[in-house]
Amino acid sequence: MAEQGLEGSQPVDLKKHPSGIVPTLQNIVSTVNLDCKLDLKAIALQARNAEYNPKRFAAVIMRIREPKTTALIFASGKMVCTGAKSEQQSKLAARKYARIIQKLGFPAQFKDFKIQNIVGSCDVKFPIRLEGLAYSHGAFSSYEPELFPGLIYRMKQPKIVLLIFVSGKIVLTGAKVRGETYEAFENIYPVLTEFRKNQQ
Amino acid sequence: MATFELYRRSTIGMCLTETLDEMVQNGTLSPELAIQVLVQFDKSMTEALETQVKSKVSIKGHLHTYRFCDNVWTFILQDALFKNEDSSETVGRVKIVACDSKLLTQ
Repeated sequence: MAEQGLEGSQPVDLKKHPSGIVPTLQNIVSTVNLDCKLDLKAIALQARNAEYNPKRFAAVIMRIREPKTTALIFASGKMVCTGAKSEQQSKLAARKYARIIQKLGFPAQFKDFKIQNIVGSCDVKFPIRLEGLAYSHGAFSSYEPELFPGLIYRMKQPKIVLLIFVSGKIVLTGAKVRGETYEAFENIYPVLTEFRKNQQ
Repeated sequence: MATFELYRRSTIGMCLTETLDEMVQNGTLSPELAIQVLVQFDKSMTEALETQVKSKVSIKGHLHTYRFCDNVWTFILQDALFKNEDSSETVGRVKIVACDSKLLTQ
């Protein structure tokens, strides 16, 4: 609902998004190197909102509320930040985690920040014939409704994986920059209209 | 049976510890016996809570902070509503410390 509100208030640039639909970014995964060895137990004991159970997972799991994200912090000083809704928010969150680690007395730096994955989603608002799509795009498609209700479409250019559901809801994953998500959606949109299901 | 020393910080545990300290100090009790009493207290609390307490309390509030380290969960709740069968009360800030009793039997 929020995305429609946004679309309503900001007209869609039809040159960039000919379909008139802009996929909403749902999750950004980024990594950064704090470039110092970390004592995870000391971090778990001092920081708030931290979990550390070395028997199950060799990292401290820490969360902050703004931007609402989760970080995995490893003893090597490497960190993974997940859950942000934009690249900037992901970087801001990663900086906040680095600051927390610094405040606990570690000489944390902020090296090699990189966006590793961007997940977007949207709704084309019409049902889709997945069998037909899978048949005509056999090289890219995997559709096994007994295993998973969506069609898995592995696009080659850009290299993006799309999950396409009968309902017309689409998930796009694997992008390193948001442009790839948008490009993949514009590529698939004409195909989706071609396999639009006629409602009885 | 191993037990947690968790309940020593409760009101009843603190009172017991104070009394034992006093008795040790004025020589009515040996320090060894005082320790033994505390160990028995740990066992008795665990057993009593397991076997004699039937009432249930629900606690609901805004989770301000959580931590899991060394198999101990710590939660700080704000505006927590404590509810049992016949009453309820709101507490501005409450700290919950929880251990997994299964770890003792392993």
